[in-house]
Amino acid sequence: MNSNEGYDANLFRTEHVSKLYPDGQVHAVEDVSISIRRGEYVAIMGPSGSGKSTLLNLLGALDKPTSGEVFFDGQPLSKCRNTDRLRVEKFGFVFQSFHLLPILTAVENVQVPMFEGRLTAPDRVKKARELLAMVGMSHRSNHLPQKLSVGERQRVAIARSLANDPIALLADEPTGNLDSVSAEGVFDLFAHLHHELGMTIVLITHDEEFGRRAQRTIHMQDGRVKSDVFSERRRVRTPLPPFAV
Amino acid sequence: MRFPTFVLKNVIRRRVRSSLTVIGMAVAVGAVVALVGISSGFERSFMAVYQKQKVDILVQQKGVKQRLTGVLDVKLGEQIAKIPGVKQVNSGLVDFTGLEELGSATGVLVQGWEPDSPLMKALQVLPPGRLLAESDSKGVLLGERLATSLDRKVGDKLTMLGDETYTVVGIFHSPTVYENGSMVVLLRDLQRFMGREGQVSGFAVVVEHPDKSGEIRRIIKDIEALGKNLEATPTAEFVNSTTEIQIVRAIAWVTSAVALVIGAVGMLNTMVMSVFERTREIGILRAIGWGRWRVVRMILMESILLSITGGAVGTLGAIGLTRLLAQHPAVAGLVDPAVAPTVIVQGFVIALCVGLLGAAYPAYRGAQLLPTEALRHE
Ligand SMILES: Nc1ncnc2c1ncn2[C@@H]1O[C@H](COP(=O)(O)OP(=O)(O)O)[C@@H](O)[C@H]1O
Ligand SMILES: [Mg+2]
Repeated sequence: MNSNEGYDANLFRTEHVSKLYPDGQVHAVEDVSISIRRGEYVAIMGPSGSGKSTLLNLLGALDKPTSGEVFFDGQPLSKCRNTDRLRVEKFGFVFQSFHLLPILTAVENVQVPMFEGRLTAPDRVKKARELLAMVGMSHRSNHLPQKLSVGERQRVAIARSLANDPIALLADEPTGNLDSVSAEGVFDLFAHLHHELGMTIVLITHDEEFGRRAQRTIHMQDGRVKSDVFSERRRVRTPLPPFAV
Repeated sequence: MRFPTFVLKNVIRRRVRSSLTVIGMAVAVGAVVALVGISSGFERSFMAVYQKQKVDILVQQKGVKQRLTGVLDVKLGEQIAKIPGVKQVNSGLVDFTGLEELGSATGVLVQGWEPDSPLMKALQVLPPGRLLAESDSKGVLLGERLATSLDRKVGDKLTMLGDETYTVVGIFHSPTVYENGSMVVLLRDLQRFMGREGQVSGFAVVVEHPDKSGEIRRIIKDIEALGKNLEATPTAEFVNSTTEIQIVRAIAWVTSAVALVIGAVGMLNTMVMSVFERTREIGILRAIGWGRWRVVRMILMESILLSITGGAVGTLGAIGLTRLLAQHPAVAGLVDPAVAPTVIVQGFVIALCVGLLGAAYPAYRGAQLLPTEALRHE
């Protein structure tokens, strides 16, 4: 299957991953083994408390599994010495409640993850403006988050998630706090990032209709994968390996 | 945007939180600087009273370290003067007196000196006044501060409690606030007025060759041979051995220590709270990719900024407060309005150290926190 030497088409892979929170008796995630290919657009769905966020956090190296192993780009995360570095270089995170810093303007918020990157200060500003333009927020770049609508806030947050040119975008209910019109816009944006930039996108949503826009939907229940459906039959576009590691 | 710019914006745009932190720091630093400043200034002026005088040996009653309570016979002076190597002997009497306008509660330090005493000559009289001469019966020299608080000029009259009226002959400036609040009259006037004729508090002895080795020690021996109840001390040593100085030192030390502890606890509390409040924000920064070290750097840089600002505000406040206090009649002459630079530096260093210390623990905790935990923190 894999034509490129030393290159794993599976960007994410989990092997019998379980997560048991110390204070709870139930497994938040139990024996999950999935693979997500480079450039894939995956929606994780399922009832509240079914372990979606926990799984996404495990994929994004925000959390460690109690047992099993998560692989990123063929490498086991448990062997990764600097997961901070990995997160900042490879992943972009989008949250349900945006988590923008309230005291910073849009263009400043987008620059926050760039402190860990290699850009100079003027280049950071330039890049942040470009990203805001891409998410259609140029006209609001000097506004504080509280002056923006929730939909606009999420667009800024998405621009921020792209600050360090990530390979994968991980979004936990990105439209959970949005009205349907704004949600529509955000999903259009994800589609754009997927189709035009070839980004790998893993997002959690409650909305069946939005879920169907992804190439693949993983349904979870009680910490386990209940179903894993490819809604689009067309071949997944596999972009070139974006980063020579 | 540069990282320091980000830190600065973080501090400036959170106006309320930053102001509260700065105020908390300022109050703590201010308390330390004011208290340490006042008490060390007090100690300083007290020391200076003794050190300034060009006197080699002080003679007073044995066992009594308080200059005020010792009583000696005036005739002893003549015997001391006969000791070879002694250049000059002067008697002095020290007491407290009341003044008509201040009421009986406030005592003013009065020195009774002879006109040719080196103590008298050391006084720095401001024009147009002059020192007391032999003929200046019922003349008085006022310390600068005392003159200001009594509103007296040269030539004005001053009535002591007990109904003697004196004329202000001169106003003197002393580098020591303690002396600036005192007054000087002729020894014979003070003896009569206090009903202590023939009594003196001590003798100031000037030695012919004070630098000759063993000279002062020899003369001291000779003086002490004159009577069992005599104690002769080189001035340098006398200063350090006085109970008053020791009490002043102890008070200064205790006050400073208490101020330090209270200040440090206050600063620590302020800093720890201001970081703990931000657990969630730290979680966000960690989740969007910041490493632990950057979180630590942000917190430490912020706390340095806040500590320095708080230190500056507190120090300025303390200096202002001390000035204000020094003007209050109840302590005029005792509180030195100038806070020593070392005390100010000390205040800053303490603010910085405590600020860093107070931020270090929460910074460490913030860095240890898993991003997911921090994000759940509401
Ligand atoms: N930090 C935590 N500590 C303890 N229990 C947790 C924690 N996070 C999630 N859980 C529990 O794990 C289960 C799965 O949670 P989650 O992954 O957030 O589900 P979902 O995102 O699908 O709603 C739930 O029962 C939840 O209460
Ligand atoms: Mg969830």
